[in-house]
Amino acid sequence: MGIIGKIFYLKEKGKFKRSKKWEGELDKCIRCGYCYELCPLFKSNNWESDTPRGKLLLVYGMITGEIEPTQEIVEKIFQCFYCKNCSDNCSAGVPVTDILSDARADLIEQGFEVEGTIVKIDEDLCSVCGVCVPLCKYEALSIEPDGKDKEKIVVDKVECRGCGLCVSACPSGAITQKEGCEVTLPELHEKVKEIIKQNEKKLVVFACNWSMFPGMQLSESPILVKTQYGIIVSMCSGRVAPELVLNAFEEGAWGVMVAGCPPEECDHDGNYKTRRRLVLLKNTLKELNIDPKRIKLEWFSTGESAKLQNTINDFVKELEKMGPINKMEVSKKIGG
Amino acid sequence: MKIDIEKLKGIVGKENVSDDIVDLYVYASDASVHQSLPGVIVRPRTIEHVQKIMRYADKNKIPVVPRGAGSGTSGHTVPIDGGIILDMKQMNRILAIRPEDMLVKVEPGVVDDDLNRALKPLGLFYPPAPASSRIATIGGEIAANASGVRSVKYGATRDYVYGMKVVMANGDLVNLGSNTRVHSSGYQLERLIVGSEGTLGVVVEATMGIRPLPKFRCLAVANFDKLEDAGNAISEIISSGCEPSMLELMDNIGIVAVNKAMDLGLPDVAAIIMFEADGNVKEAVDFEIEKMKKICKKHNGTGVKKSYDLAERTKLFSGRKKLFAALSRYKEGIICTDLADDMGVPNSKIAETAAKIHEIAKKNNVIMAVYGHCGSGVIHTKIMLDTKKKSQWKDAERVIEELYDYIDSVGGVTSAEHGIGLSKAPPWKKARPDMIPVMRKVKKALDPNNILNPHKIMDAPDDWVGATNLRYKVG
Repeated sequence: MGIIGKIFYLKEKGKFKRSKKWEGELDKCIRCGYCYELCPLFKSNNWESDTPRGKLLLVYGMITGEIEPTQEIVEKIFQCFYCKNCSDNCSAGVPVTDILSDARADLIEQGFEVEGTIVKIDEDLCSVCGVCVPLCKYEALSIEPDGKDKEKIVVDKVECRGCGLCVSACPSGAITQKEGCEVTLPELHEKVKEIIKQNEKKLVVFACNWSMFPGMQLSESPILVKTQYGIIVSMCSGRVAPELVLNAFEEGAWGVMVAGCPPEECDHDGNYKTRRRLVLLKNTLKELNIDPKRIKLEWFSTGESAKLQNTINDFVKELEKMGPINKMEVSKKIGG
Repeated sequence: MKIDIEKLKGIVGKENVSDDIVDLYVYASDASVHQSLPGVIVRPRTIEHVQKIMRYADKNKIPVVPRGAGSGTSGHTVPIDGGIILDMKQMNRILAIRPEDMLVKVEPGVVDDDLNRALKPLGLFYPPAPASSRIATIGGEIAANASGVRSVKYGATRDYVYGMKVVMANGDLVNLGSNTRVHSSGYQLERLIVGSEGTLGVVVEATMGIRPLPKFRCLAVANFDKLEDAGNAISEIISSGCEPSMLELMDNIGIVAVNKAMDLGLPDVAAIIMFEADGNVKEAVDFEIEKMKKICKKHNGTGVKKSYDLAERTKLFSGRKKLFAALSRYKEGIICTDLADDMGVPNSKIAETAAKIHEIAKKNNVIMAVYGHCGSGVIHTKIMLDTKKKSQWKDAERVIEELYDYIDSVGGVTSAEHGIGLSKAPPWKKARPDMIPVMRKVKKALDPNNILNPHKIMDAPDDWVGATNLRYKVG
């Protein structure tokens, strides 16, 4: 042993003005790792560098000069949905997301280009209609001048929470997020398919990461207990685009439930949009000869796992009475 | 010792191998004070993967450190010699739940709470549950012989290990143990793996006993104005034949820290005891609770609150469950370090040990909380100090020496449930010199090339502070 495994200390320090002030808090982190349980990114990627503890370690390493920021490290730091499950439940009281925000600002200042969970605008597709700008509660989107007579939408990479609300609202499909964190529309569609095809579930539940995720941890049995429903954690309920719900019916679901935060409790004001959107969608379903009662929107606060479970059970019973969607009728109607 | 990364990628797929600093730096740490970089992280998904990796590592004499959640407190999974970290979290399938045989078969990466979530609807549970059960893996719990709040009645991990499949250092796969609660068929080698901290083999499948969930659980809390009284009450509860399903102590330092971190409004007294009884007959549970309540009162315990209600029990217990990390909030400028964290003492020595811990802490300018599953003889402490000051680390070293000398003198053990790893190795070696040559012979027989988690327990350095980089920046 001895030199092997020891860490090489870098000489250059002082590039982390904002993050440096958190060194004391980072020492307070006992590194128990209890935050793993609550992190949606860790659940999907399963590397410890995706956990809140892992990210705090990386920030600590960078501000103390033990490691140099690399593109890979920066990507990890910018992968976070700010659900705050970690900081809200940290019994050492470490403000994880505040620390990450400062680290992000420092890294942007150092000139790093990042993707992470930040939204990206395809300027070729974007018509600068500006629908997305007032949607974002964190004011991460703005219209800025682009040359002499043009304008463009600019993303504030420190403020963007990656909730994806703007992605599902953009009429041109110009806003996207990187694949790999199980939140893009194609990835969510894949999950819907998986649930229905492999497990023959009748009900697909889109649960909001912010309100339901910790509660779900308490109620869901991972395997062997056969259920008629499958839960997909979909970030903000406002992220559940109409096509995702239709996808679920197309794949054979008998019903779809969207579980969001109660009004006034949503971190992104996405729940109001979901409500409006689902009313419109129900009308569309009528047109398609599908009973609109097959869509359900319910509000749940953090920790209301028992309420979620009961609501799901009741809905499954209702769906069993309705039976599967008659595909012939649907296709005739659509075709006719 | 050049590691052939491409070879490892060929075994488990390139998405399951990383030698990027972003991962190496994270996997260099656990919940201990230690830090040391591995050479590569590999995530096997099958038994064959583990066998192939071990064959390669053994042939090339590359250290291999199996790792679960990395929640260990003594540096067990910190790769002091670099090498391969075997991240077992991808092997997380519950292979079978057999209520008819009262056992489960699991892969080592299954998280304790996930297993219990699957068992609950069947009216069953897996009892050992350490405080870290929300993330701790069964493999890691076996490696540390973990126990927890209910171990006072239900025992430790070792009491639930029926059998296991283990990949040995040379890649051979062996089946150990049985599918029954007892067996008398040769050496109890499955028990040898329990508590071996990844130094003897890699557990790739475990057959574990399970128990029926009791119909009733009642939790009570009593307050004490003197820590000594609380300690004596615990000793008498155990020696008088009560059967608590939980018996926990928390001293004033713990109470203050929890109140600061979570605003729970616990009474500002010298100590509290939490005691629980469970069973299928309510009268029997009541009887146990009343008996323990009487003993608390005899030792000046006051303000006893009790509850059968799950929500209320969860609230009463939440302070204890989160105490470990909350200690960081006790005082500004003072950091809670994972040192001297889990000694075990005979039941009659609880009160005396608690007092001794506070005495040694005061003498050496550090703060130490006293808490833990005292009903099963486990006393938890943490050393709280100013990690920036070099002199405080000297203080910590003295505390550890004095404290463990005392623990040894009363017939206690260095670690009751977290394991020895790196930071507890020096006092353990001092206390058990006779065990060291025997353990080295066992190690040599099973791992002749010394590749499995080398330089831990009996082979760990004598200076725990200098064994690796400290996770804290001193000076």
